Amino acid sequence: MDLSIVVPLYNEEESVKPLYDAITHAVTPLGIAYEILFVDDGSKDKTFETAKSIAREDKRLRVIKFRRNYGQTPAMAAGIDKAKNEIIITMDGDLQNDPSDIPLFLDKIEEGYDIVVGWRHKRQDKLITRKIPSKIANWIIGKVTGVPIKDNGCSLKAYKADVIKSVPLYSEMHRFIPAMASLAGSNVAEIKVKHHARKFGVSKYGLSRIYKVLLDLLTIKTIVSFTSRPMLWFSILAIPFLLLSAITLLIFVLMFFSEGIGSLVIMASLIIIFTASGFFLIMGGALGELIYKTGDMKVHELALLTIKDIKNQ
Amino acid sequence: MFIGKDSMDEQKELAVIVPVSERYDNVIGLYNDYKAGIELYTKDYEFIYVLDGDFPDVEKLLEKLYQDGEPIKIIRLSKWFGEATALTAAFKKTNGKNILTLPSYYQIEPSEIIKLLERLNEADMAVAWRWPRKDSAFNKLQAKVFHSIFNSIIDDDFHDLGCGVRALRRKVADEVPVYGDQHRFFPVLASRRGFRVEEVKVEQSQRETKTRLYKPGVYLRRLLDILTVFFLAKFTKKPLRFFGLIGSATFALGGLLLIYLLIERIFLGVDLGDRPLLLLASLLVVLGVQIFAIGLIGELIIFTHAKDIKEYTIEEIV
Repeated sequence: MDLSIVVPLYNEEESVKPLYDAITHAVTPLGIAYEILFVDDGSKDKTFETAKSIAREDKRLRVIKFRRNYGQTPAMAAGIDKAKNEIIITMDGDLQNDPSDIPLFLDKIEEGYDIVVGWRHKRQDKLITRKIPSKIANWIIGKVTGVPIKDNGCSLKAYKADVIKSVPLYSEMHRFIPAMASLAGSNVAEIKVKHHARKFGVSKYGLSRIYKVLLDLLTIKTIVSFTSRPMLWFSILAIPFLLLSAITLLIFVLMFFSEGIGSLVIMASLIIIFTASGFFLIMGGALGELIYKTGDMKVHELALLTIKDIKNQ
Repeated sequence: MFIGKDSMDEQKELAVIVPVSERYDNVIGLYNDYKAGIELYTKDYEFIYVLDGDFPDVEKLLEKLYQDGEPIKIIRLSKWFGEATALTAAFKKTNGKNILTLPSYYQIEPSEIIKLLERLNEADMAVAWRWPRKDSAFNKLQAKVFHSIFNSIIDDDFHDLGCGVRALRRKVADEVPVYGDQHRFFPVLASRRGFRVEEVKVEQSQRETKTRLYKPGVYLRRLLDILTVFFLAKFTKKPLRFFGLIGSATFALGGLLLIYLLIERIFLGVDLGDRPLLLLASLLVVLGVQIFAIGLIGELIIFTHAKDIKEYTIEEIV
């Protein structure tokens, strides 16, 4: 079982060397072949130069330099894309994750899990602005996606390479990888990991993202539960409108036979609006079916990746 | 149609691309002026003229230049495709190490071209910025308005996107797709992809001073262009962030109106049935949901094509 370790770095010049040392220190004793991929996400400081000078000494380290800053998810996607080994481990570049946890992850993968996620059970962050919002977010994410994970934000994760490479990673999806991977029916394990407070630099991810995360969540829901059957999803969305239309119609009729109607035009228009939008949504579902048909992301192909065993009678 | 040596074996130092799309000035004169300007920098160059549609007069003159042994290639597109498509066609027909695009009319003093080419030592793309503008007050005003709108929306700092004089390294041409009307935004798209784009102040041509008043449709198109670039730059991979924001705002507005109406109905006894506001409120709610739904459809499109989407550009792997 060979190992690739992917670390996105953004303005982490002080962390590069200690991080490299910690990783090699943790992995070398295991006696397995490994490579480290540092992805420099368009840093403005000396991150790339520092990493490059280490890479010159150690062939196992590769450094990918982005042309500009693209964000954490593309950085991870690039690293995963270039990784050559069977198991891929991702972690943060800011020394908050501890590479000495890596062996635990490998054990779990060995047990047969496709994805192992870290859980920072003693988180070294501010309570109000980081810990509480993240608790709530994790609870919601678990409910919506059906993949209950206590800590989606922890970057320290291990994957089987063929699973993670088939899961699309874009925008800010790294938070949702386990949910995405559940498309492939992957089984996910969660283990407690150490977590250190930041030593260098400042935290780059804050509280201001709630609205984005909420929208992303809806996206994930759409994708995870309904990619292969968008018609169903949009029909569900259409139900309230068709109901409203029916209710308005009912009121309309009742009023017609009792005391008379305030305004015929307005009632009739309401019915039309609600019915029309119900149909609009259903048409949207039809469009979705078309998109799924012509697209090249086929859920059944993902499912093939995680077939556990085939009983041969 | 293509005239010229179609061999890619010899790599020229510089490929000079001149798209002929709408306006053009004295062809031979301009060619000679450009040539003189470029020869200040290098002797190893070729010209590629792209005729974007039918320009028989221009074609005749260019063919004559070709027969006189000038280093020139001519590409004629079968119909009008837009200046950016013309550029892309030319990129495919040359393997010059660096590329210089020039307009088919006088925009800058040809002797200034060297400034751009020299800047390529540090930058990936050098674009001309006509400064000081010697134009009529009206031209200056419309350029100013355009750029201030553009820069505030895109959050960038460009001063002269209307100038077609741009020097770029080969890899910029290879990696940044442009088509249709996007030539104006070529530097913007390049800088979005992480290339170093710099503006270089150059002297404006004396001959370019006529006031240009375009048809209203042209201005409208320009505005739509800005929106397109904005959308492409910010939301391609996250349509729901765009549609979701607009959709939920519309939805919220409609919802608030509905609540207001209901309160009036229940507590103040105002009749609901004959209030047009009710219609507006429900329309907004519905519209919000529909915009949102479009965002979801967009997300489906992105997801099902995610394999083809590469969000990042890698400069180097060590």
